[in-house]
Amino acid sequence: MTTTRNETTGPDLASRILPPGLRANPDSPLAARIAECRAQGRPALVGYLPAGFPTVEESIEAAVALGTNGADVIEIGIPYSDPVMDGPVIQHATTTALANGFRVADVFRVVRAVAERTDAVPVVMTYWNPVLQMGVDTFARRLAEAGGAGIITPDLIPDEASEWFAASQEHGLDRIFLVAPSSSRERLDLVVKAASGFVYAVSVMGVTGARDAVSDVAEQLVADTRAAGAQNVCVGLGVSRREHVEEIGAYADGVIVGTALVKALADGGPEAVGALARELSGRA
Amino acid sequence: MSQQSTGTVLDAIIEGVRADMAARQEQVGLDELRRLAAQRPHALDAESALRGPHEDAVQIIAEVKRSSPSKGALAEIADPARLAAAYEHGGASVISVLTEQRRFGGSLADLDAVRAAVSVPVLRKDFTVDEYQIWEARAHGADLVLLIVAALTDEQLRRFLDLTHELGMHALVETHTPEEIERAAAAGARIVGVNVRNLKTLDVDVDTFGRLAELLPEGAVVVAESGVEGEEQIARYASHGAKAVLVGEALVRAGDPSATITGFRAAGAAARAGRRGAADPAGAAAEAASLRHAPGPYFGDFGGRWMPESLIAVLDELTDTFEKAKADPEFTAEFQRLSREYSNRPSLLTEAQRFAAHAGCRVFLKREDLNHTGSHKINNVLGQALLAQRMGKTRLIAETGAGQHGVATATAAALFGMECVVYMGEEDTRRQALNVARMELLGATVIPVTNGSRTLKDAINEALRDWVASVDTTHYLLGTAAGAAPFPAMVRYFHEQIGEEARAQILDQTGRLPDAVAACVGGGSNAIGIFHGFLDDPAVELYGFEAGGDGVDTGRHAATISLGRPGVLHGAKTYLMQDEDGQTVESHSISAGLDYPAVGPEHSYLHDIGRVRYEPVTDTEAMDAFKLLSRTEGIIPAIESSHALAGALKVGRRWAEDLGPEAAAEKIVVVSLSGRGDKDVATAAEWFGMLPDGSSEEELGEKGEQL
Repeated sequence: MTTTRNETTGPDLASRILPPGLRANPDSPLAARIAECRAQGRPALVGYLPAGFPTVEESIEAAVALGTNGADVIEIGIPYSDPVMDGPVIQHATTTALANGFRVADVFRVVRAVAERTDAVPVVMTYWNPVLQMGVDTFARRLAEAGGAGIITPDLIPDEASEWFAASQEHGLDRIFLVAPSSSRERLDLVVKAASGFVYAVSVMGVTGARDAVSDVAEQLVADTRAAGAQNVCVGLGVSRREHVEEIGAYADGVIVGTALVKALADGGPEAVGALARELSGRA
Repeated sequence: MSQQSTGTVLDAIIEGVRADMAARQEQVGLDELRRLAAQRPHALDAESALRGPHEDAVQIIAEVKRSSPSKGALAEIADPARLAAAYEHGGASVISVLTEQRRFGGSLADLDAVRAAVSVPVLRKDFTVDEYQIWEARAHGADLVLLIVAALTDEQLRRFLDLTHELGMHALVETHTPEEIERAAAAGARIVGVNVRNLKTLDVDVDTFGRLAELLPEGAVVVAESGVEGEEQIARYASHGAKAVLVGEALVRAGDPSATITGFRAAGAAARAGRRGAADPAGAAAEAASLRHAPGPYFGDFGGRWMPESLIAVLDELTDTFEKAKADPEFTAEFQRLSREYSNRPSLLTEAQRFAAHAGCRVFLKREDLNHTGSHKINNVLGQALLAQRMGKTRLIAETGAGQHGVATATAAALFGMECVVYMGEEDTRRQALNVARMELLGATVIPVTNGSRTLKDAINEALRDWVASVDTTHYLLGTAAGAAPFPAMVRYFHEQIGEEARAQILDQTGRLPDAVAACVGGGSNAIGIFHGFLDDPAVELYGFEAGGDGVDTGRHAATISLGRPGVLHGAKTYLMQDEDGQTVESHSISAGLDYPAVGPEHSYLHDIGRVRYEPVTDTEAMDAFKLLSRTEGIIPAIESSHALAGALKVGRRWAEDLGPEAAAEKIVVVSLSGRGDKDVATAAEWFGMLPDGSSEEELGEKGEQL
């Protein structure tokens, strides 16, 4: 993968695609938390767990354990039948959740528990069709009511997000879009202008999964995303150990851990999640 | 409920409408209407139909109208269904049916007859003053209702509009004045009509439209109503920005309503193109009215790129390469050369006379089964492999269900000297051991997919996961006209030759266009290819036959358009088989090639605007047709294609019923015989109980093994 970004010509993508007057949520608890971490001289620790794995109740306890042991932000994933961006560990977890009867509306219970029982900021991470089927506005309203701060959208790009722009503004939610090592400058500009809360930088070209080393294209991507105007950039995909957190924390505003936590939950239950969170956050 | 008094002719009409409605309410209660409405298929998308394929297009709402208060009886309409069908053949985008009895001589029976006869959206035109009428419209299969702003309070207008949208329908919101336009916009009207008939004097002033058009809300579909005598008024409306024109009397009185509509559409599009300052308005108009060569990324509301950001750069690269290649004579010449010298194109068009005796009409087969590798799939893989080469990619990946597309991709990879990896559901690799061997013989690696339901959709997921990590060296050679842009329009481009050849061949062999074209639809690539040749011939009925599996009532089927609803999967917004939560539901069909829970987005669009009819065909019907073609013509068809054959039998038998055997015998249907059935022999032998008990072939057949 090259680190020089492709330049494209033609009318400015962002002004063609984004609705006029699109604003970042001024009261974003997500942006506030990341700013707080920055003031403390550390990256925000962002942890992912799927709702409903292995059951809804256990996923609540796991998310609470994550939130009370050092995670600043918790991504609650919605299990989906066709998770094209996920590797085998998360696929296995979400398939199990679906087999155990997970329903999309259960995600709001998990979000509410995180909001009420921990200091962490809950957001939802979801493929877009489940949101579309509930109705984008309805989903956004229910998420806001449950105490959620926003949605991370791995298969929704700003180009297709007009309904989500309207609903996120209406309900005061953050729009966390992704940037990738392959994104052109023009697309970085688009995503940065469309996003709020933070921008999710995908550190490698690939699917989710723990990796031994975090790719060095991530640092360049973060720098380019900042150059496009991003306030907060968090890095995900492949992070599994405290040393990754420290390494990425040197240049990013937050570090996202997914697969390692899901594996800990599968192997050792909510307690193991808490233990890993303590290690990752440097408390252990 | 209070009623808005208008001080116009409307008041007296509405009094009668209310009395008639009260009588109907005695007969049929609201609960019964709700039940009937729930049984109807999803309403068609009249908004997309009226927007048309291009900004210059002008659509016609053609009205079935027996009489009017201003003109009295217009014409004897003996058969509203036949009139509506003539409108449809002329290219009408919506059929309007007057159901008011006292002044307009209409009825719900007229609506029922028209609904059954046409596949385009239907407007129930009446004076809507109660929710009951909106439920009634849906229960009778209407896709649009009329809401007259002058006759409604703001609260009613909003409530009726909301209910209409909740029922999946659209409303034509009719206005006469600037105030009414403002009220329509405030209520959220998406289709706004301007009626230039003065309600007090009943006079028509065509210039009123120009004055009011400027006030219409941005983004709404603008419809001009009343006052059309000929092309001159259509052009005038269009030049003031009308996207559609509602025409009644001029058509009812016309000797040839089909030709009249065709003329109206051309005149309107030329005027719109002229307004925009196009250099060649007539040429622009012809292009604007065309459904052919739709470029994507959107087809109406469908299509797009619902994809991870990581893949956007490679999709951009592919789009760019494809657009340049299409315009490069060297590329098109090379594609044509390969099609001719390697694939064996053009494929034959064969009249199937002994088979046709069972359909009651003439049947012609477009012989894609004679292509190299035995199906239409080769067209697309050669085209995409050429593009991969242009992009400097050295590795092809593909998904496959039955193995047809995997074999075709492995073939192209061998021909081009590229590495090839085929993802195939583990379930399918077991059922298709010989096709796996075939791919391996051609040098490909077959990877069994063990995730999810272990079938075609999971193979696509796994191929996408590979692609995210390998975009620099790898082209994902998607096998059907589905997925994210540019795939739907690109795959169609490589299959357009099927339809173009078929059209020229049938003209050559019979001297005329066919009455219908039939194809099977899974993802829909052979279907979109053959339909493409006939999209702009509104008199040619197009039929897509989906896999009905065990029967659509059993839940075990793959009838995506017939029974699914819109959502996003694999990068496109399209019809999907999904549960309430948006989780994809597993599809079922005896034909692995049709066993896909989504469908190409252009098909979703062609369904929603009513240009193509999609109907399910069960496993049993398909297998009966499989056997019939084998025994009457000596051609063993693929089980996929057998769905199209079974559909053609239905179409022919319907003609015989409706028109009588003599007229039906003159009718022509062209069937896309998309592939040959060699791969299906074991499945068929098992289905028909032809294998001896305990034979190894029987065991294979039970597993669905296709020799």
